[in-house]
Amino acid sequence: MIACSRFSHPLALMRLVAAISALLLVTGCNARRDGDALDLSVYQYRDTRDLVRFAYDAARVLERGGLDSLAAFRAHRNRYRTSEFYLYIYDMHGKNLFHAGMPRLEGRNLSGLSDINGKRVLRLIVQALDDPDNPHGWVHYSWWEPGKFYPVTKSSCHFRVKTPEGEVLFAGAGIDYPHEEKEFVRIAVDGAVALIGKKGAAALAEIADPTSGFNFRDVRVFAFYPDGELLISPVLDDRAVPLRLLECRDEVGNPIFAGAVKRLETQDRVWSVFMARSRYQRQLVKKCLYLRKTRLDGKVICVGAVTDLPQPP
Amino acid sequence: MKSKAPKQIEYGFNEMPPPGQLLILSLQHVMLMFVSIGLAIIFAGQINGSTEFTATLVMLSMIAAGIGSIIQSAGFPYIGSGYLCPNICGPSYLSLSLSAAWVGGMPLVRGMIFLTGLVEMAFAPLVHKLKNIFPQFIVGLVVAMVGVSVIRMSVISFFGLEFRADVVRGGDIAIGAISLLVMVFANIWGRGLVRIYCLLIGMVVGWIASFIILPEYFLKLQILKSCPMFALPVIGPEFRHISVRADMLLPFLVIAISGSLKSFGNLLAAQKASQPELKEVDYTRIRKGILADGVATAMAGLLGGLAVDTSSSNIGLAGSTKVLSRWISVGAGVMFILLAFCPKVTWAMSLMPKPVLGASMIFAGCFMISAGLQEMFQETWDSRKTFTVGIALFFGLSTAFLPGLYARTPAYVQAVFTDPLPTSTVLAIILHLLINLDRTVPKMLRRIGLSTTGGHK
Repeated sequence: MIACSRFSHPLALMRLVAAISALLLVTGCNARRDGDALDLSVYQYRDTRDLVRFAYDAARVLERGGLDSLAAFRAHRNRYRTSEFYLYIYDMHGKNLFHAGMPRLEGRNLSGLSDINGKRVLRLIVQALDDPDNPHGWVHYSWWEPGKFYPVTKSSCHFRVKTPEGEVLFAGAGIDYPHEEKEFVRIAVDGAVALIGKKGAAALAEIADPTSGFNFRDVRVFAFYPDGELLISPVLDDRAVPLRLLECRDEVGNPIFAGAVKRLETQDRVWSVFMARSRYQRQLVKKCLYLRKTRLDGKVICVGAVTDLPQPP
Repeated sequence: MKSKAPKQIEYGFNEMPPPGQLLILSLQHVMLMFVSIGLAIIFAGQINGSTEFTATLVMLSMIAAGIGSIIQSAGFPYIGSGYLCPNICGPSYLSLSLSAAWVGGMPLVRGMIFLTGLVEMAFAPLVHKLKNIFPQFIVGLVVAMVGVSVIRMSVISFFGLEFRADVVRGGDIAIGAISLLVMVFANIWGRGLVRIYCLLIGMVVGWIASFIILPEYFLKLQILKSCPMFALPVIGPEFRHISVRADMLLPFLVIAISGSLKSFGNLLAAQKASQPELKEVDYTRIRKGILADGVATAMAGLLGGLAVDTSSSNIGLAGSTKVLSRWISVGAGVMFILLAFCPKVTWAMSLMPKPVLGASMIFAGCFMISAGLQEMFQETWDSRKTFTVGIALFFGLSTAFLPGLYARTPAYVQAVFTDPLPTSTVLAIILHLLINLDRTVPKMLRRIGLSTTGGHK
């Protein structure tokens, strides 16, 4: 006689499981998010979402508590410094009011500070905060970890705060060795399109400037006419070896640029995923091209950039 | 028809549980099979498939896996092992299927998966030839490596990781730990229903815990609002054509052989769990099982689903609960086919927290690893076996520890050193033959009358 003969009420358990499942489905379907103004759905990585949430929450504390809250920030410095990131608060002129990671910077005006690549970090932050396409004030630059002696790549998000006293400040936090988010490329390309719309051909030099916000790490905003003629090259100066952009194919033979340009005939913006080779992996890795259509001196041009996509774990 | 179940086995592989239990036991296996449906969703996401495309791919993959499970376990005369060995979407095919999708879209994926199935079918009759090169300790090694092969995916899921190098949350670890402990405790100390439904109980407890610990798992269920309860597949143009490419034949051939070896290991494990009284491997059932696997894969290609494969985790679950009835696999297959037409349920299952899935796979994998090790060390051990197993493990496991290293090796090395299971198996066979040449060669020479002296003592 096997043990199963002892089981007298299998249907009862089945009903219980079915009831729990139905309850979960019904309650889950009707669940709603609480009233939270912060939309983190554009970010793919938890690290990025955690960082934005961290800076946003601190900015709300500052907004509610005003300048008096700075003393509370200093008194609870460890609360605003984690192993991954730390909080800082500046006024709009570049004066540091609070720095959880490097307290020695407090009280100093750092508006003229440049990173090792010549990026004027505070100026880029102020530009980011003024950019409607950059709702979380992202800036990308090189920095260093407190106590360390080598540069690290960094991405920081910032929130503008108006205190009850009427002072305009910003709170921000950054993450070292950041993940490449599609949102970062969208911000850069959309910003470039807006700048071209505002300044015309004069914008191209600013977009190509390596110290501008349009170039960071391996991301470079480029521009070309739909026939492939380059305005800003996606790689290096193409005078020595002309780059035939529309003939370029990815590792599996797809004509990425030609395909994206064709899709732009009916759309304003396109995301095209393509495959690239990685020295460290057997499989090809995914990358992504973001391309937008705009006008320069009455002619249609394409503006875009390429970024990495998250890899499976 | 009804075989006498050995001691401690709740349901033998030929026994039919009562209908109510069959239903719940099948559901328990279906819950575990849903792990693989995530692959179809990942695949569609990677090639920017539309929602409609994703839904259809999930449906067709589930239908293929369901039919495959039935063929594998129903006990048909010439096909199917007749063991509890359900089919799922094969994780090992994902990367190559994606490459095919990038090159030639779904038609090429379908064509190449179909060819892969044909290769597996061609491999099936050859399995008898393996009889002489698979001593008991290598069979044990293969079964253990089946468990080892799910370590990567199960641990990644246990920690709730979505993308490489992203942060692991303490909440996910807690959810995974709760699920795993409930499953293990229910299996060890549970009686009757609690014991045989230990995985299902652990999953439900883990799911409820996830809602409390990380409410985002609860909020994710909102997507179900827009899911219809019943739907039919929408066969778009991408599912109407089929093509093949010569330059993709070699990689698919390699993955087909690798998949066949994995199924070989899974079927051996299923046989060891179902028929522990067997003194020697029953290669007829293994052959029929691999043939069924090949047919299911070829059919998946024709249908337009992802390639299917035998599920190590489900075999592990069967072994750990001692519920081995093949009818459960048939029931799970039928359920999988029916659920394919219920998007709301399918999506709900695919939203099961990853740590809960990871805990389920770890739970099942534990059985496979320990069963394999026990099998391996039942034989008298000597230094020949030490080196055969040791070297095979060193290089087999190194493919998981050092994937970056193998990415820089010559192509012919990459072709052999793929994953722990096939690599260890191939190396163990080669080493076993090589190390025993002093025994086998004189025997062969004597047999053909070329030598009268020496030989093995």
